Order: sequence, then structure tokens, then C-alpha cells
Amino acid sequence: MAELALLDRAFHAIIQRFVHTGQAPHYTELATELGLSMEDGRQLVYDLMAAGVPGWIHPGTDYIASFPPFNNQPTQYRISVDGEQKWFAQCGFEALAVRWLFPRKLVRVAAPCLDCGEPVVVEMRDSEMLSVEPKTIVGYAYSAIGGSAADRPFR
Amino acid sequence: MNLFRSEEHARRWKKYNPEFEKNLRPLSFWSEVFSGEMFRARVRSDYIFWLRSDAGKQAVQSTMAKLQ
Repeated sequence: MAELALLDRAFHAIIQRFVHTGQAPHYTELATELGLSMEDGRQLVYDLMAAGVPGWIHPGTDYIASFPPFNNQPTQYRISVDGEQKWFAQCGFEALAVRWLFPRKLVRVAAPCLDCGEPVVVEMRDSEMLSVEPKTIVGYAYSAIGGSAADRPFR
Repeated sequence: MNLFRSEEHARRWKKYNPEFEKNLRPLSFWSEVFSGEMFRARVRSDYIFWLRSDAGKQAVQSTMAKLQ
């Protein structure tokens, strides 16, 4: 397991890459940014996930699939920031936490309802909930919150 | 962990599981849970270190307590 300071640098680098581009870095890019060998960069991604970050690596690959609150693979939770849509949230709940990474900006979550396909839209700025459409929106998970990693994308 | 247009929509969802009825909550509840310090602190450059500090542990416990 990498030392804590290195895990922090990696976490911050990945989050910042998501904030600025909407995508996760590949481990080779992370390695270069942190001055590591390619293999150390690859292992660092696994160490981060093992350190308690509730994300995951796509099975059978070394690609970051999800890194909360973001998802590298598109989900139905499209996030727009000040009118620009280039982010996807890990899930409907984490979509509500994206705003903390974009202080003072208008964050919009738009997704189809899994029951009917009609839109669910939430607009937030920092602590302020600016609009909720429809007003009756609920959140639901069909298993324990924080359950197994294999189940996280589907709850 | 999904958002639905209403409670009725969530209950109609094919994967709805009454065993986890307690997870069916209004948006305001989930917004409050995901406004906790463990989520806000992700902007920190020392987030992993912070999570292991007393303040970080307290923030995680506070979030988990809301989910009980």
C-alpha cells in the first residue's frame, strides 16, 4: 500500500482531472503527473480503491470506472456546471454531492426516471437547492448503502 | 442509488425491494446526507489523511448515523 501522502496526491489529482475535464486520468497520466513509474502509477490506483475510496476499476482492465462523486463511464446522471454538460455522477445520491467540488457554480443534475423515463431535474448552487422538478422526487436504493463494490453501480 | 419522479415511481420499479423500504426517502433527505463534511471535504488536497483524522472519522460516523 502506498504511503498516505502519495494516496492524497493521487486522490487530489484524479478529482481535479474530473473537475476540469469530466474524465479520469489513465494510470500512465497519473504516474507522469506524480513522477512515478508506470507500474507504480497503476498500482497506486488500486491502492486508492483499497484505501476506502468507494469507487471501482472496470473488471478485467486497469481503467478507473468510477470515482465518487463522478463516473468515468456515462450513467443516466448527467451533470451540467454553469450550463456545460460534461460530467456523469456515480449514482443519484452522489449526484447531489457534485456541487461541493464546484463552489459558487450552478450544478444541474438531469436524469430519466428508471420507472417511466420522464425527466428528473435538480439544480443546486452550494448549499442552496434552486429547483427540483418534479417536486415529488425521491431517492431509493434496493440494498444496503455502501454495499459490495460489485453491486454499487446497480443499486 | 437512484432518483425517481415520486415514491409511486420508485415502488413500481422492477428492482424495488420492500426489504429496503427505509432507503426510500425524499430528495431533501438524501441532499442533507450528501451534504455532510465527508462529501464537502473532497476538495481537500489531504482528503485521505483527513478521513483518518478524528474530524474525518467523526464526519463518516455522522453520515452513517443518518443512514440508520
